Amino acid sequence: MTRMFEIKRYFAAQLPKIVLAPSGVIILIAIYGFIAWTASISLSSSKVMPIYDFVGLEQFVRLWSTPRWHVAVENLFVFSALYLSIATVFGLFIAILLDQRIRAEGFLRTVFLYPMALSFIVSGVAWKWVLNPGLGLQKMVRDWGWTSFTFDWLVNPKYALYTVVIAAVWQSSGFAMAIFLAGLRGIDNSIIKAAQMEGASQARIYVSVVVPMLRPAFLSVIVLLGQIAIKTFDLTFALTNGGPGGATEMPSMFMFSATFERNQMAVGAASAMMMLAAVVAIMVPYLYTELRKPSNDH
Amino acid sequence: MRSRSLLLGAAMCGMISATAHAEDKSIEVIHHWVSDSEVAAVNTIKQELEKRGVVWKDTAIGGANGANAAQSLRARIVAGNPPGAMQMLGYDAATWAKEGVLRDLTDLETASGGVQSLPADYRRLAAPDGKWVEVPIDLLRSNWIWANKKAFDTAGVSVPKTWDELIASGEKLRKAGIIPLAASDEPWQIAKIFDSLIVDLNGPEFYTQVALKVDDKAIRSPQMVKVFEKLRQVRGLVDDNFVGRDWAVATEMVASGKAGMQVMGDWAKGEFLAKNLKPGVDFLCFPTPTSTPNFLWAMDSFSMFETTDPSLRAAQDELVKVLLDPEVQIKFNLIKGSIPPRLDVDMSKFDDCAKQAAVDLKASIEHKSFLGTLSGGYAAEPQFASIFKEVAAKFFVSDMSAQDAVTLLADEINNAR
Repeated sequence: MTRMFEIKRYFAAQLPKIVLAPSGVIILIAIYGFIAWTASISLSSSKVMPIYDFVGLEQFVRLWSTPRWHVAVENLFVFSALYLSIATVFGLFIAILLDQRIRAEGFLRTVFLYPMALSFIVSGVAWKWVLNPGLGLQKMVRDWGWTSFTFDWLVNPKYALYTVVIAAVWQSSGFAMAIFLAGLRGIDNSIIKAAQMEGASQARIYVSVVVPMLRPAFLSVIVLLGQIAIKTFDLTFALTNGGPGGATEMPSMFMFSATFERNQMAVGAASAMMMLAAVVAIMVPYLYTELRKPSNDH
Repeated sequence: MRSRSLLLGAAMCGMISATAHAEDKSIEVIHHWVSDSEVAAVNTIKQELEKRGVVWKDTAIGGANGANAAQSLRARIVAGNPPGAMQMLGYDAATWAKEGVLRDLTDLETASGGVQSLPADYRRLAAPDGKWVEVPIDLLRSNWIWANKKAFDTAGVSVPKTWDELIASGEKLRKAGIIPLAASDEPWQIAKIFDSLIVDLNGPEFYTQVALKVDDKAIRSPQMVKVFEKLRQVRGLVDDNFVGRDWAVATEMVASGKAGMQVMGDWAKGEFLAKNLKPGVDFLCFPTPTSTPNFLWAMDSFSMFETTDPSLRAAQDELVKVLLDPEVQIKFNLIKGSIPPRLDVDMSKFDDCAKQAAVDLKASIEHKSFLGTLSGGYAAEPQFASIFKEVAAKFFVSDMSAQDAVTLLADEINNAR
């Protein structure tokens, strides 16, 4: 009897590990295994098919002397900086407005969050029509009578990247809003009451008390949106397809075209490793701050 | 809804063929023909094969100009499970032949009279080491201009004989309130104009040096600067709403008379015909203006994968014979809008544009101006071809100088070598 009981107890203790083992193995192979594989390809001379030789960092040198890659990296920096800052500020702003216990809050929240439910492909195509000078916004305003109105960023290689920012911000600010709203609701009311009794104005309370307390929400928003920014592919693909003339090229598009269209698999792998490095650069500080905290903090 | 009925249909087809041809030979074919006319064209091959007791198992993977299909093939080959046959574009077959996965079809093609009847420049890609590894089904011309007849009449414009005339006629069209040239910012579409300019302004030998041999000296030559300068003038003929425009949308602009011309391959004809427009009456087709009969070609071909399974080999044999059958080539191309790659077939059933293509084809072979198209991937190898396209596209939309474009092109190509 006791033996039976011991076995049962042993299984009960091991059950979580047994249940998690398959997914652990899959993660090990499908994520870390493939990362290692991509790394090995990036050090090889692979063209159309993987070749397992070793040529050192030659492909990285080639990658960094490709003007198209430079354009992609610059674009990514500009895009990420604008996208992250605008979406965060805008999301926070809407969240604060919604937090004023207004009527129809549920409805408005859905309206703001809804773009997130659409795929990037759909919003890319929709914005492509809205921003096209001959079909969308510019034509509409001109038809209203303001004939000199010009908004042709989409077709101008100098400004096309900003149209991608517009579409991405539209897509993601609702998401940022949802996280901030949750953060705002989690703040202890008594602190705000105390500040009010001290005679602080509403604006002052937000700037000095509430926003600093939203630090975890900020971190989540920036980390999540940061990853979306680095791997952004479908939105640019649908909106501008990297055009006009490669002006909105992103590293992910470069990777796809080098690997699958140009028969430069090793260069594609090298660019993928560079993207991984960028994600790691964001993730490591995040994990560090998260894991450093004592567990009772949560 | 549509995808569900498609699935249902596919499942039913599968069931029927599984029961009716249980003992028959079958062959799985990967291709990327998914539009209505393309599917109808493929059916002509399928039916002919069925008559010979071979079932065509369809694996159609659309999208991304065949890049999706190519990707799936790569996965299948790595997994050791290649299909029986696959549609090949540009350098695909030559690349896979190097990997040693393609079947040598020389004997079969010789027996079918295929080898003798196919234009020689095609051998470069179809028989890279002297052994034939692909079978062509259609021949497409890339350097066409499609024009709206009514727009031309309204503006008092006639078919241009030189690029300068074409650019001048653009001004007249614009005065008549018509967009002179419908184009897109998509690199491959701009490259259609670009590669036509290279050969039209400088002749077939120069084109061979630049686009086929990727010769650094030729690319850096003053002639290339002139090509870019002319491309800049052509840019002036295009409206400003061209970002991400689908080629078929541009064709529609010509069909409706909103635009005067479009530089596009002969698949544009399919769009005109689908709108019940008549060649010569509603729309015009003429080659990009030049003094030699340049023919920039692309072909859809099939390659057979090496196998030891005797019944699959037999099925592959039949497929090669069907593809090279002049009757099948006629039926297929009548639907698809292209012309048969065999030089010895009867063209009487085809429309005037196709007939002209066939005439120009023969003339171009004599003049040594039958050349693979750069924009479609039939001239330079993929790693270089994409650079030509990108630089042309970048130049087209920006205010880069022609000299800078030439330098950028040459430098990028050297980096990819």
